[in-house]
Amino acid sequence: MTGIIDFIIKLIIWPPLFQLVLLPGLVTALVVVIFIIWFERKTAARVQMRIGPYHISPRLGGFLQLIADLTRYAFQEIIVPRTVDRAVFIGAPLTALVLSVVPVVAMPMTDIPRYFPIPMDYSLIISMGLTTLSPIFIVAAAWASNNKFALIGGMREAFVITAYELIFIISGLSAGLAVLSYNIVDIVEAQAPFYKWILFTNPIAALAMYASILMSTSGFPFEIPEAENEIVAGAFTEYSGLMYGVNMGSAYIKRFVYTLLFSLLFLGGWAPYTPQPGFIAGYLIPAVIVVVKATIVMATISFLRAVYGRLRIDQALDGAWRIFIPIALAGLLLALLEAYMGVYA
Amino acid sequence: MSASPALKDEIKLPGMDLKKIGKDLYEVFIGPQHPGSGHMRIIIRVDGDVIVEADPDLGYVHRTMEKLAEGREFIKVIPLMERMAILDACNITLPYVEAVEKLMDIEPPPRAKYLRVLLCEINRIASHLYGMGIFGVFLGHSTMYMWPFGDREVFVELAEKLTGARLTHTYAVPGGVRRDIPQGFREMAEKAARYMEKKLEDYKRIFLDNPAIQKRLVDVGVISKNLAAKLGIVGPNLRASGIRYDVRIIEPYEAYDEIDFEVPIYEEGDAYARAWIRVMEIKQSLNIIRQVLEKMPQGDPLHEKFWAKAPKLYKTVYETTGRAKLIPLYANLKVPAGRAIARAEAGRGEVIYVVESENKTKPYRVRVVSPSFRNAIVFKYIVPGHRIADLPAIYGSIDYFPPEADR
Amino acid sequence: MAFIDRIKEIMSSSGIEAEVSEGKGFIKVKVPLEQWEEAAKALASNGFDHVKTVTIVDYKARGVFEVAYHVSSFLDTGLAKYIIELSTEIPRDNPVVKSLVGIWPSAEFLERESFEFFGVVFEGHPDLRPILLLDEVVAKHPLRKDFVVKEEGIFR
Repeated sequence: MTGIIDFIIKLIIWPPLFQLVLLPGLVTALVVVIFIIWFERKTAARVQMRIGPYHISPRLGGFLQLIADLTRYAFQEIIVPRTVDRAVFIGAPLTALVLSVVPVVAMPMTDIPRYFPIPMDYSLIISMGLTTLSPIFIVAAAWASNNKFALIGGMREAFVITAYELIFIISGLSAGLAVLSYNIVDIVEAQAPFYKWILFTNPIAALAMYASILMSTSGFPFEIPEAENEIVAGAFTEYSGLMYGVNMGSAYIKRFVYTLLFSLLFLGGWAPYTPQPGFIAGYLIPAVIVVVKATIVMATISFLRAVYGRLRIDQALDGAWRIFIPIALAGLLLALLEAYMGVYA
Repeated sequence: MSASPALKDEIKLPGMDLKKIGKDLYEVFIGPQHPGSGHMRIIIRVDGDVIVEADPDLGYVHRTMEKLAEGREFIKVIPLMERMAILDACNITLPYVEAVEKLMDIEPPPRAKYLRVLLCEINRIASHLYGMGIFGVFLGHSTMYMWPFGDREVFVELAEKLTGARLTHTYAVPGGVRRDIPQGFREMAEKAARYMEKKLEDYKRIFLDNPAIQKRLVDVGVISKNLAAKLGIVGPNLRASGIRYDVRIIEPYEAYDEIDFEVPIYEEGDAYARAWIRVMEIKQSLNIIRQVLEKMPQGDPLHEKFWAKAPKLYKTVYETTGRAKLIPLYANLKVPAGRAIARAEAGRGEVIYVVESENKTKPYRVRVVSPSFRNAIVFKYIVPGHRIADLPAIYGSIDYFPPEADR
Repeated sequence: MAFIDRIKEIMSSSGIEAEVSEGKGFIKVKVPLEQWEEAAKALASNGFDHVKTVTIVDYKARGVFEVAYHVSSFLDTGLAKYIIELSTEIPRDNPVVKSLVGIWPSAEFLERESFEFFGVVFEGHPDLRPILLLDEVVAKHPLRKDFVVKEEGIFR
């Protein structure tokens, strides 16, 4: 009997499973996403002189409204139109959801290698590489929908992907370059004192990365692939019920994963805290710190919704190629300079 | 067109025709259930992301008002016509009332003229705020959607205080207005004007000066001065193209010739100018409201010809409570034969009525052309050449209102 | 010179037999059907640059439709305060009139609207399709006087 319980506990705290499914993987992502959606609604409401969700659980500020919405999504009919490519139509969003959480596997949440899913020296490159997997499935879903609005949305998504990936990777690498290591653990440990956060030593790269996160996850003002007033819901026009929820969820999870990486690279990861031996002190607390930082970054992205309108696709691409790529390259140069001068030596 | 053999083999849905539309073109139906269109449809053909052809398809909220008007008494046509732009009810029906007055050869008393101007300007502000809100949401700017929609309420309430109805007021009736100004209205109006002036600054900060919005609007949907005249567009859109045409100045009706106001003109003719002009017009309307309240003469709000025929009870009610009821005379108002044309500057532009009577209680013909219907032509001639994403920007900047266009 | 005299002069100098009279809020210029286009051209060349309405009135008793274009000017502020009603009469059983879209592009949608409500054919219109109504309603010409609105008749 105790053998089974031990086995279950071991399985749960087995790092690959734990990290991917529980913290900071799917379950945490879901909680954070629910919180962020609530936060987005509430801040937008505050800016716009409204109350926001209120009717359900007024004492919690309408927090349970999200649960109600989720339930509604879960029980709505999933309509699969006759004209779609069934296998891809259903498979692509699910694949995108799974792949969007996969980069977490290469993101260490602590410096104790025992709690790494896969201890490795190139975790920065691997995790950034893994983030590039999921967008193609959104394009595939759009193509399979056999809908004009979805197709236009899918094309926009494809254009945006090509634009932001380069910015994202250049600015991510410049964080590693400054520290002269592609191991995220080294990068985080180099940022241990507050003033050494790469956000402060290399704000240019941080800005470029932030912009690329906005672009990749359809944050305002780059909310272009799903522009509601132009192309209904972009790639997700034909989706309904839980399938639409999956699509939306994977977009938010993608944003969460990106911001996790952002807080590891630029905001010092678990910085003020030094992991101690033991599961709680060595894994849980640093992971929660990283998640909280990521949530704060996400909240700023949500706040932009109340401030900005939407840019046009050509303007966004223009900005990406002509403004943000030079900025990202400038960040890289600055990182090179810092590495040469030994700021993080 | 017949379907090609290759297309025939594919999935066919019952009732669905296949047609060919030229090489490399893609036909997209924007509307009528599209979140960015309202109750109208624009069929666009795109080459890549660029629109090459646009065909506005109106009529989804058409109610045949012109036919219905032929079967109703003169007074009942007013509440009917109001339905085309409920926020702009006084402006949109005022020319009809004026045309009937021209046929009857009466002129409203001066106080009634001022009261009409007062409600017209309140309506204009509400209508512009509505348009700005829709404009905001078309550009994905949810804050600009919520703010004017909330502030619109201020002016709807102001109109309610004045007329007793939030929207369709039926305030102007042949020979005057239905009610006199209530107590405490002046303070309310002054409060509203002060509030609105403050809010206009906020709009400017979050929307008009927002770099993302400027990028979307500047040099988009440019209508040159000559093209604007050629297409016959009206209202703020015309004035944003540099044409100084406003019925309030060209042919001052009611009390507008006694009021000192400016009509903002922009030369650019792009969507950004059309966004600005609405803000400036709201400022002018606030100015007019203040002047009206200051200059308003004393007197009856209804022409004495009608007032003389009012039952005694009505007069006592009016003298004690300040509320006038609609005089029974109106139910069977006989209008002398003839044709009269009147126009007014509604929120969205010039509205014109042709009223023909044959000395009966019902009009022989009422022809109304609303500003939105005259602006609809913009979609056909201005939209091509722009990108798909520009369509909502142009649509919002034109302030096109389907119920008003379809009548 | 009164404005109405100027209109008379414009008409007579182009050789058009027009009845010019003052109406309530407009100046009526009634021309014979044959000189319809010339009259429009004469007005257009004198600065009347847009059409405000295309109004058709069904005089069933006389068997004619009156086609009236209300034109004015945007660019010329002197003309802007006048509305000219350019009108002609066409027989009810053969309602055909030359389209003026070539002269005033702003009439395009207005003519389409009049076409669908009255069945008046505007010859030479580039795109004469119904604009507001469905085809089956257009066939009934709803604004003609012989189309009677059916009421549900609960109270009559």
